[in-house]
Amino acid sequence: MKKAIAAIIAVAVIVLMALGYAEAAHHSDGQMHEVNAQEIIFEHLGDSYGWEVPFSHSKRIPLPVIVRAQDGSWHAFMSCRLADGAQYDGFQIAQGGDYNNKVVQILPDGSQYRPVDLSITKNVAGILIAALVVLLVVFKIKNWYKKNGMKAPRRFTAALEVVVDFVYTDTIRPIMGKEAPKYGPYLLTVFFFILTMNLLGLIVIFPGGANLTGNLAVTAVLAVITFLVTNLTGTKHYWKEMFWPEVPTALKCPVPLMQIIELFGIFTKPIALMIRLFANMMGGHMVVIVFMLLIFIFGSMFGAAVGGGMTVLSVLLSLFMLILDTLVSFIQAYVFTILSTMFISMAHVHAHHE
Amino acid sequence: MELFKPEFGLAFWMFIAFLCLFGILAKWAWPFIIKSMEERADLIDKGVAYAQEAKSHLDNAKAEADKLLAEARNEQAEILREAAKMRNELIEKARGEAADEAKKVTDAAQVSLEQARKEAEKQLRSEVGDLALQIAEKVIRRNIASDDAQKALVDQYLSEVETKN
Repeated sequence: MKKAIAAIIAVAVIVLMALGYAEAAHHSDGQMHEVNAQEIIFEHLGDSYGWEVPFSHSKRIPLPVIVRAQDGSWHAFMSCRLADGAQYDGFQIAQGGDYNNKVVQILPDGSQYRPVDLSITKNVAGILIAALVVLLVVFKIKNWYKKNGMKAPRRFTAALEVVVDFVYTDTIRPIMGKEAPKYGPYLLTVFFFILTMNLLGLIVIFPGGANLTGNLAVTAVLAVITFLVTNLTGTKHYWKEMFWPEVPTALKCPVPLMQIIELFGIFTKPIALMIRLFANMMGGHMVVIVFMLLIFIFGSMFGAAVGGGMTVLSVLLSLFMLILDTLVSFIQAYVFTILSTMFISMAHVHAHHE
Repeated sequence: MELFKPEFGLAFWMFIAFLCLFGILAKWAWPFIIKSMEERADLIDKGVAYAQEAKSHLDNAKAEADKLLAEARNEQAEILREAAKMRNELIEKARGEAADEAKKVTDAAQVSLEQARKEAEKQLRSEVGDLALQIAEKVIRRNIASDDAQKALVDQYLSEVETKN
């Protein structure tokens, strides 16, 4: 009986989805809308001045634009003033060209000048929301301990504690040893910040939906911070291994072969961190969008019926990818953290004979 | 490709946001959380160790009680054995003493018996002498013919009496 009801509901949903697609495809004069897949993908993955209101593509939540004009003066206004290509105070969102979808200043001679842009864009707002979420979550654990002392936490706090325990006790402490309390706060912050940004990116509507860790600038900042921590706290022995490693002299003296390799290593480590997180998260988002776009691509190629049928498959595939991305969100946050931990601990080597 | 060009503004805000987040959490949250978690882990470890110790104590207590009981039994047996030995010794000693005493008494009795016999002998002798004298008187009164012969005869008789005893 239960199975029969489930089957009926499933069939009804499929039929409705197919009909809905057919209706949407023939919305205006029975003509199919042409779909520019690339544009849609990059719009979803990229940044914008304003945040889409859920379920409406045209309305946007205005966000502050902060720019420094060519003459050195700072300008701040809400992004709704630039909506639909409008010009405000000499500024405009460029359509096409070198600065596509960015705020540019229109100079008197008509040319475009890209100002220093510190706008609170969708991604910046997303970062701030993620930071706020991390603050709330972490202080929830802290307040539990403050209030309840040694009692074991329950529900959500317990789940969080498991994650903290997994990252700190099972990962950071075995690698860092007695230096764990010193670097633990940094690594835990990195882990929770990345995890929160990853998961928020998977939520399609506000306050999620910003592709944060799939943005090179965000991962680059995280990688640079790890790079700085690694190299600024490195021990004397770490630098000695770098410039005068214990290898046969022929490998290091006339031609500084080992030194060059080691020096490359310093930079490839954070770059690998940056690219890995970026590529994984962006790839996941892109695949989900592409699966969705398949509906429209197939629809325009083979007609509405095929597009309608494709709906079912696309939704299933997207669902699968989103579930996979949830896992990837956790794994990538963890990988970034554990690699940062290892890089930092590797920079804290001491001579073997000590 | 806009995606591959890091935007300065975004990097700037990301840096600020991360530093603020790190500053706040590193100062007020993480050390406290880590410390609390470690304290709790220690507490739980201690609790488990304590429970195990208590259990082993309990197990030991039974064994110890059994051991004590066995020891007490041994001691009891020892004491009983000792007591029996002591009793036997006492009895033995008393018996010896009694035998000594008895011997002394018999010896003393023998001595006094001898004495009494000697006394009686002496008395008898004097009594017999008297009796003999009286007899002799009677004999003399009847026949005082030969006094010496008569006396010798009496002596002979007396000696005979003596040896007869």
